[in-house]
Amino acid sequence: MINMDFTNTKYYTNRELSWVRFNERVLSEAKDKEIELFERLKFLSITASNLDEFFMVRVASLKDMVHAGYTKKDIAGLKPEGQLELLYPVLHDFVKDQYLTYHKLAAECSKQGLKMVERHEDMNAEEAEYADRYFADSVYPVLTPMAVDSSRPFPLIKNKSLNICALLAKKGKDPKKDKNLVFAAVQVPSVLPRLVQLPSKEGRRVIRLEEVIERNIDKLFLNYDLVSASPFQIMRNADLPIEEEEAEDLLKEIEKQIKRRQWGEVIRLETEKGIDKRLLKILKQELAINEEDIYEIDGPLDLTFLMKIYGLDGFEKFKHRSPEPCAVPRLPAGCDVFAAIREGDILLHHPYQSFTPVVEFIKQAASDPDVLAIKQTLYRVSGNSPIVRALAEAAENGKQVSVLVELKARFDEENNIGWARMLEKSGCHVIYGLVGLKTHCKIALVVRREEDGIRRYVHLGTGNYNDATARLYTDMGLLTCAEPVGEDATAVFNMLSGYSEPLQWNRLSLAPLWLKKRLLRLIKRETQAAKAGRQSGIKAKMNSLCDPDVIAALYEASAAGVQIDLLVRGICSLKTGIPGVSDNIRVYSIVGNYLEHSRIFIFENDCNPEVYLASADWMPRNLERRVEIMFPIEDAVLKETVIHILTEQFKDTAKKHVLMPDGSYKKKRVSKENRFSCQISFEQEAADLLEKPDQLKDSRRFIPMEKI
Amino acid sequence: MAEKKNNPRLFAAIDVGSFELCLKIFEISPKGIRQIDHIRHRLALGTDSYATRKISLAKMEELFRILQEFKDIMKQYHVRDYRAYGTSALRETDNTEILLDQIRNRSGIDLEILSNSEQRFLDYKAIAAFGNTFDAIIAKPTAIVDIGGGSIQLSLFDKGALVITQSLKLGVLRLHERLQNMKPRSTQIEALMDEMIDGQLSVFKKMYLKDREIKNLIIMDDYLSDRFKTAVPGVGDDRIATADAFLEFADGVMGKGSEEVADALEISEESVPLLKISAGIMKRVARSFGADALWVPGAALCDGIAYEYAEQNKLMSASRDFEADILACAATISRRYMGSRKRAEALENIALAIFDGMKRVHGMGERQRLILRLSATLHDCGKFINMTNVGECSHAIIMNTEMIGLSHLEREILACVVKFNHEAFEYFEDLSAHSDINEEAYLTIAKLTAILRIANALDKSHRQKIKDIRVSLKEDKLTIDVDAGADLLFEQERFASRAAFFEEVYGLRPVIRRSSSSS
Repeated sequence: MINMDFTNTKYYTNRELSWVRFNERVLSEAKDKEIELFERLKFLSITASNLDEFFMVRVASLKDMVHAGYTKKDIAGLKPEGQLELLYPVLHDFVKDQYLTYHKLAAECSKQGLKMVERHEDMNAEEAEYADRYFADSVYPVLTPMAVDSSRPFPLIKNKSLNICALLAKKGKDPKKDKNLVFAAVQVPSVLPRLVQLPSKEGRRVIRLEEVIERNIDKLFLNYDLVSASPFQIMRNADLPIEEEEAEDLLKEIEKQIKRRQWGEVIRLETEKGIDKRLLKILKQELAINEEDIYEIDGPLDLTFLMKIYGLDGFEKFKHRSPEPCAVPRLPAGCDVFAAIREGDILLHHPYQSFTPVVEFIKQAASDPDVLAIKQTLYRVSGNSPIVRALAEAAENGKQVSVLVELKARFDEENNIGWARMLEKSGCHVIYGLVGLKTHCKIALVVRREEDGIRRYVHLGTGNYNDATARLYTDMGLLTCAEPVGEDATAVFNMLSGYSEPLQWNRLSLAPLWLKKRLLRLIKRETQAAKAGRQSGIKAKMNSLCDPDVIAALYEASAAGVQIDLLVRGICSLKTGIPGVSDNIRVYSIVGNYLEHSRIFIFENDCNPEVYLASADWMPRNLERRVEIMFPIEDAVLKETVIHILTEQFKDTAKKHVLMPDGSYKKKRVSKENRFSCQISFEQEAADLLEKPDQLKDSRRFIPMEKI
Repeated sequence: MAEKKNNPRLFAAIDVGSFELCLKIFEISPKGIRQIDHIRHRLALGTDSYATRKISLAKMEELFRILQEFKDIMKQYHVRDYRAYGTSALRETDNTEILLDQIRNRSGIDLEILSNSEQRFLDYKAIAAFGNTFDAIIAKPTAIVDIGGGSIQLSLFDKGALVITQSLKLGVLRLHERLQNMKPRSTQIEALMDEMIDGQLSVFKKMYLKDREIKNLIIMDDYLSDRFKTAVPGVGDDRIATADAFLEFADGVMGKGSEEVADALEISEESVPLLKISAGIMKRVARSFGADALWVPGAALCDGIAYEYAEQNKLMSASRDFEADILACAATISRRYMGSRKRAEALENIALAIFDGMKRVHGMGERQRLILRLSATLHDCGKFINMTNVGECSHAIIMNTEMIGLSHLEREILACVVKFNHEAFEYFEDLSAHSDINEEAYLTIAKLTAILRIANALDKSHRQKIKDIRVSLKEDKLTIDVDAGADLLFEQERFASRAAFFEEVYGLRPVIRRSSSSS
């Protein structure tokens, strides 16, 4: 074989482009007629909030790089400028597609008895009267109109806020002749619901708040005549880097950053299609924005309001009803979690199985007199999290509680700082993240003093300690009291407390120091096995794959003949079907009702498969700039379970897209009766398991019948 | 859970080393010692004290903070007992006592300083705790190379017993400091190191190795040990490497840049220079001794501390008789100075019979008994230098010879007992004026000297006439029944003159009574 250069940039896809492809897959769910109407609205709403975050973080940082004169090329060989050029048309096309979908869905809603009144002019007299009254009673008092003239500068427009801009003429003057038209703006108040339900006799009718304001805008500027008015929204740069080396107190620094974040550079302007050219000109000039960053929207701005539509009651038949998460057979309600773990490792599969045992694990530890210490990492937790409450309670009970709170969890800082302070008050030892690294691993350790000595109980997971998202994200967790894992867990927390690394790791692999090497070695082992004619193979599932070293290793493995099946929900910089490079690699993506979030890696290892779960994706940021944990599943039965779970997902025909060699994703058309959805199948399996818990036991064991 | 009698006991060991602070939490039960937690914090105290004999305030502050944290961790585990020891970095400061007091006040940790020989003894216990593996290794001629920050300790085993131990001021941190002062090019480092090490090593070889063959090396260090198993090719769970494999590995490490080594061994780049020096020392010793294999058990001082604690508190049965090692060491020293083994044995027998027979009165324990045995073994070593000044010379030899397992004070007691066996006893005021002897040690010296003196008297003819000896205590009389093959005229004459001092110390009159079993 000729020596291939697997690092050639032409074998890689730009990650931003791949991300847009992912959002397209989400959009394709919104287009899928087989899916319940309101679910489709939800998917459309998700594409909008996804896109917002993409602009705020990714586009913003590319723009930063251009400003800073940074010219380092990306994985696909593109400089920041080149990436932006690649993205502009793709993003504009995507937005067009979003609104085509919106109009189709709106029409469908209308048929099903929900009319979204698009423009205030479309209201009937009765509705208009209601809207005006609503405006006078509830909206007017909270509005702050701002006009611009020589004494008043252009107002600060808040990031992500929806606004209405207006062009005004002095009362009595002919607006066509008035050369001194006044620009004014008013923010659509975020404290009021975006949707206004209109009184209606037949079906439901709703209108958006900005339309109600626009209809009444003349009431805000009494000495002027309205020439033109139009809603607009801006997006500013949010990914301000935090200067950790210089920050005396990381916490204060982050609090400062949140306040500053609202006033970053404007990187996107959305206006309604048909906006007055003069208004647009003023906005362009005052916001200092380029042509390619302006999106003229054919429909309502900020589609995230569709989530509110989804929340309307009375349309239950248009929504998918997920079953309640099932109990874990080994951990029935009221059981002693520690006793159950002592009987053997326990695997949790969320959201099919309930997250309650994990909460219970911490809760029981909090009140158990034999528990000496609880240590846990917290990345994103729900508001009023029962875990946070249990930790506080444990500290109040005199236990040593150490919590690493990751303040740098994107957009969550404000929320995190609040309860981190609360934990500290109750006596927990709180570590506010690590300088230069994000702590993304999900690990909880309970140290318990038992009759025969210290025993450590560990929970390791692929998802956050968040009881709310645990109902929406597919994740896996392991509860174990295996000594080698307990020892490693103790070492993890020693490291997180600032102490030196342990002399050795028994089972866990940690990023940023060891995980990547370990992964590369595991891939390499498969490569060598294939070369030597032994059994080889890699099956892996993750959210994103864009680490160049890992991809190069996978290419090398593929070239050596290793069969590689990947389930990558989001970004994938790996290209399939390159002759001699990736012909043995298949990449799939599942976008379903639940957000696919678990990371599962299976290496064939010459017929002795090794199964790992992890908190990390195969991205440079996970492998190099975060604290992440990869942990093996060693119990034979649980190993089989994980292999089964991953194998089932590859069989999906309902939600699975295939990455094509040209970089596009295709979904195979399958007749409805032949559709197989792994998510639905797992729901069923979790329920079956409860009814027939025997399946849990080793299927290789014969069970003699006691009675005939 | 309240601690019950049979529950495993939680114990903490703290090592304030020359480049790292280390806390280990152990669970000790009859089943053995289980390490629960191991916390390390890098703090190079040694770079300060080796150069300036002081420790900077910034480092002291950091030391207080970390020890305070260690204390919190111990509390978290409900640790019942702890031992905290400082080694050469603190030992080699001019104001050690002040530092210890500060540490006590600021962190609440009672820190003690280990003498080199105590420290090495604990290291040795940490290794010996490996039981069967250790026994198998020392079945062949073996040397322990204990590499520290300030010095290295070479100890030799002969027929399973530790016989010689010697410290060389070739510690990793010390060499590193010296090398840095010389500012060599990276290609010169190895040659410079060889120069620094070889001189002392060849003296050691000439003195002690002679024609001894060394088959195995047991290595202890804080630098390479951690990575030994993963880094050196062919090393399995037994952590044993062939000398060839190790030397090839070490040559490789020495020849590579820091970044490459850090990458290959998965360590931080900043710890590479020290690791290289440690590997360089191992390499020199392995080559120079011509060893076949290296065993790097990965034992550390804290393990030895736990082992000793378990031993002292009878929490588990000891796997090795360490007193035998100390005695064997003393015997080797005696042989080096041409002491008489037979005479020493006779003296020891008599002295021990007296010691054991009057336990009720003297109130001394195992440790003092050991010193008495050692004093018998070394009673005449000084005659090698000058026969008319045996006491002084013996004292000098003992004070300048390393004996693993004895604290500095114990060594001083031993030297004094041997000295006063030959010379006039010095009372407290005189003695404490020119030594570290405290009141308690002084009393021990007096008591042991009194016993050794009458034992000496009983065997004055150096002909080992006494076969059996029984000691009984009645009122104010200590009756010594001796079963002697020959007449004891000569001894009895000496005895009377020695009895006065005994009387002075114990308030008992020793009486000698001959009972012949042959009659």
